[in-house]
Amino acid sequence: MDSPTFARALGLAGGPSIEVYLEGGGYRAARKAFLEMTPAAVLDEVKKANLRGRGGAGFPAGLKWGFVPARTDKPKYLCVNADEGEPGTFKDRYILGHDPHLLIEGILIASYAVGIHQAFVYIRGEYERIARRLEAAVAEAYGRKILGPDVFGTGFALDLAVHRGAGSYICGEETALLESLEGKRGHPRLKPPFPAAVGLFGAPTVINNVETLANVPGIILHGADRFVGLGLPGDGGTRLFGVSGPVVRPGVYELPIGTSLREIIFTQAGGMLPGRKLKAVIPGGLSAPVLRADEIDLAMSCDALVCVESMLGSGGIIVIDDKSSMLDVLLRAVRFYAHESCGQCTPCRLGTQWLRKIVERLAAEGGKPDDIDELARLASGIKGRTLCPMGDAAAMPVLGIVQKFRSELEEAVCRP
Amino acid sequence: MPTLTIDGRTLSVPGGTTVLRAALEAGIDIPHLCFHPAFAPEGSCRLCLVEIEGLPKLELACSTAVREGMKVRTETPAVRESRRRVLEFFLAEHPIDCPICDKAGECRLQDYYEEYGLTESAFREAKERRPKKVALGEKLLLDRERCVLCTRCVRFLREVTRTGELGVFERGSHSEIGILEGRPVATPYGGNLVDLCPVGAITDTTFRFRTRTWFLSARPSICPLCARGCSIVIDYHPGFPRRPGSAGVLRIRPRPDEAVNGFWICDLGRYGYLDLHRRRLSRLYWNRGGAEAGMSRDKVLALLGEKVRELAARGRSSRLGLIVTTDLTVEELRAVREGLLARLPGARLWFADPPAGEDDGFLLRAERTANRRGAAGLGFEIAPVDLAAVGNGLDLLLVFGSHLADAGPAESVGQALSAVRTKVLLSPVSTGLESLFDFVIPAALPSEKAGTFINADGLARPFEPALPLCGETWPEEEFIAALAAEISRGR
Amino acid sequence: MSPVLSDGLRARIETLAARYPRPTAALLPALHLVQAEKGFIGPDAEMALAEIFGTTPLEVREVVTFYTMFRRGPVGRHLIQVCTNVSCALMGGERILDYLRRKLGVAVGETTPDGRFTLTTVECLGACETAPGLMVDFDHYGNLTEKRIDEILEGLD
Repeated sequence: MDSPTFARALGLAGGPSIEVYLEGGGYRAARKAFLEMTPAAVLDEVKKANLRGRGGAGFPAGLKWGFVPARTDKPKYLCVNADEGEPGTFKDRYILGHDPHLLIEGILIASYAVGIHQAFVYIRGEYERIARRLEAAVAEAYGRKILGPDVFGTGFALDLAVHRGAGSYICGEETALLESLEGKRGHPRLKPPFPAAVGLFGAPTVINNVETLANVPGIILHGADRFVGLGLPGDGGTRLFGVSGPVVRPGVYELPIGTSLREIIFTQAGGMLPGRKLKAVIPGGLSAPVLRADEIDLAMSCDALVCVESMLGSGGIIVIDDKSSMLDVLLRAVRFYAHESCGQCTPCRLGTQWLRKIVERLAAEGGKPDDIDELARLASGIKGRTLCPMGDAAAMPVLGIVQKFRSELEEAVCRP
Repeated sequence: MPTLTIDGRTLSVPGGTTVLRAALEAGIDIPHLCFHPAFAPEGSCRLCLVEIEGLPKLELACSTAVREGMKVRTETPAVRESRRRVLEFFLAEHPIDCPICDKAGECRLQDYYEEYGLTESAFREAKERRPKKVALGEKLLLDRERCVLCTRCVRFLREVTRTGELGVFERGSHSEIGILEGRPVATPYGGNLVDLCPVGAITDTTFRFRTRTWFLSARPSICPLCARGCSIVIDYHPGFPRRPGSAGVLRIRPRPDEAVNGFWICDLGRYGYLDLHRRRLSRLYWNRGGAEAGMSRDKVLALLGEKVRELAARGRSSRLGLIVTTDLTVEELRAVREGLLARLPGARLWFADPPAGEDDGFLLRAERTANRRGAAGLGFEIAPVDLAAVGNGLDLLLVFGSHLADAGPAESVGQALSAVRTKVLLSPVSTGLESLFDFVIPAALPSEKAGTFINADGLARPFEPALPLCGETWPEEEFIAALAAEISRGR
Repeated sequence: MSPVLSDGLRARIETLAARYPRPTAALLPALHLVQAEKGFIGPDAEMALAEIFGTTPLEVREVVTFYTMFRRGPVGRHLIQVCTNVSCALMGGERILDYLRRKLGVAVGETTPDGRFTLTTVECLGACETAPGLMVDFDHYGNLTEKRIDEILEGLD
């Protein structure tokens, strides 16, 4: 596509240094926000743009920002969710590593709109090298007084710190992220209250995904209407779709929201590797219910995926071929959720373990059709009953695979 | 005060009350494990999900605040199904220990799975094996297979005692409760963890395997071991017909009492009965030339009555001494005054009490008797024992209570007593001084009698007999009344 | 006896703590620093950190044992983490793991006798487009083949 938002992230233009960024027109959007717009106007523009969260939940960013009370005697915080733990997802890594200033600019504008003076990027611990690069970019921004006590000479103060996680998928859930940032175990909190009211250390907090914030400068610079036009009315802009699995060109692709899944796989990513046929697709990170090969004529947008009982999630497209076993995919999935469960609530702590034990037994010794029924039964027992959305995230892949690939599972499992 | 309906019943509750608290107060038991009224809601067991009209999903009763007009239903098919599903997860890795688990009979998990028909587990995989006897503290053991990670124990030690000896380590299904090596649960409130644990994960070594809970009879009483007067429950085993000595107290636990002890008791009160019952005197006897000979009450009364009359006749009533204790109830102290002192003009009166300990800033008070304030309130001057006076001019000494040994060094006490012609001891427990007395009368423990203490805050702590009298116990009030009658008879 | 945490390390922790609204937020970054210097987080480090942050050693251990990146004991000179999640599995990750097991002669979780490598598995590393992948210490390697693995290991001390 022409003039992509993420050209630099995708390695199509320049490098991550601030000089290159500024030369290419960087920080113009932030300047425009700070010097020519009111915070309310910035908030309005982002709301009009229908920028939906790019982390997984798809919650409208402008709406979320609006939940923070305008008047409060508590400080306000912005936490950038760079935990990127959803299997099949790697797009934020590109932004963080190759276009960190785009993210910083988004952070600036968001902070201005909501009245936030301290922001943190919570980056997963495994992204150590990338965190260093991000820290270098932050230092550059401080050097140019783009961050610090006097942003663009307006007297607005914004401090930004990079904070590394330490290996925990659940810390990508916003309240677990806050707990982790506070120096504790990553246990999700009961909601309500929501972070916009009671967040980091009890203060109003906005939590946004990296890619979400990276879209903000474009919205401010070019306007909400253009942003919406790039995508769909209820779901504006482009998204970074990550494609992995046995395709010719796995990688990250910036494409308009609403692009067909078939196009992404077979045009952008070059289709299947020689000798392989498409069997299944997980469309939005592992937690998104699986689609069959005949279900890929589908617009990739939050709403369209919901209509087929899946989700756009993190946009991590995992392509599965006919030579791969759905039982093995299921095994990896249940192992993952069992490993990542924080352990607080009963259905997830015990349910993910139970699922793992059954699938491991089926993979090792085989079993009966009853066992497959049991998997679905347990998964539906977990769904809707957990303290945080990870319960559903653990249940849905199981339900999806059992529902759509039942006969393959039975064949693999009911060996003589 | 918002009004809500739960299962058709209308209730009015203070603003901010949760649905669960409102329900429990109205006697509607919404199943729960991690909730405890002493703590903020935890929301992790997921058992208390209920239906709230207008909301699409089931909501947690423990953490949902009541709103005006809320309509809650706790027994719809969907709610019951939800409970069944959550219980099933609890039971998946839970060991089938009921036949050997102390908690059986008072276990919430057991109650719930029986109610929801889940006695057959659907779990067909190999259960996790975990350590079953982790020492958490001197009297506390943790069975990690049984633990349901409700974290009540962790929260108690963080929020109530603020000693934080327990934590949750690892994560997911590997999560486990534990201590740091070398730092066991040492708070003097550790026994409460056993009550708190909703299942049989944390057990008490003084109670382990000693009985089945359904043999126990729960009797309310008041703890007599300090001036707080905590409300307690005495769990009494009435004994098996063909097993002599099988009756007795097997456990003391707190009785919730908002005004005095909340939900807790200290370990002194919880385990103190072990020592008391070990030292319990139960025979009425007199020391005849070094040997203990049985004695009847009538004989004792007759002998004492004779001595008292004799002293009165010779005008030597002042050579009569009474040592009492602030362990005695209000009624007993009153009887001492009206029954004995009134009939024994000139008799000397002293109080023998244990030395004060430390007030621990929570429940345990410095005074280690139950009724000092009651004694003061009755107008007694609580004069400590004057051993010199005792050993110098007393012909008859009546000692109530078990604290005379604290009146001074052993030789001094022994010396003073040996100078008294006739000495009577009325004590519920042995103090090591029995051989120095002529008559030893087993008195009643507070658990065996009715009475009132006034605690250090001036609150009346009345109690009824919880246990049958032990052996030949002669309750103090009865003894005093009988002696008073005997004294009067002779005049 | 030298202190558990060097002065330099303490100073760095202090600087970190100043960035946060409350110093306790610096516990995870501090744990990373301690592990980088000492290789793992032992009971003495737990105690030292508890003192610095005004918390208890037990609470520090609660945190340490929650996160997979924190180690409680030493590992080999290099920690190899092979991804076992879906995308890597689809692209032959299991074969890669098998190869490493055979080549190093250890089971998952074990360290080679010469103390050079500890082999572990890990969940999704966020580099699925180059599956199958692994990390050695903090460096990620993708598009793995047996030959590529040989090259990587040879280049390490």
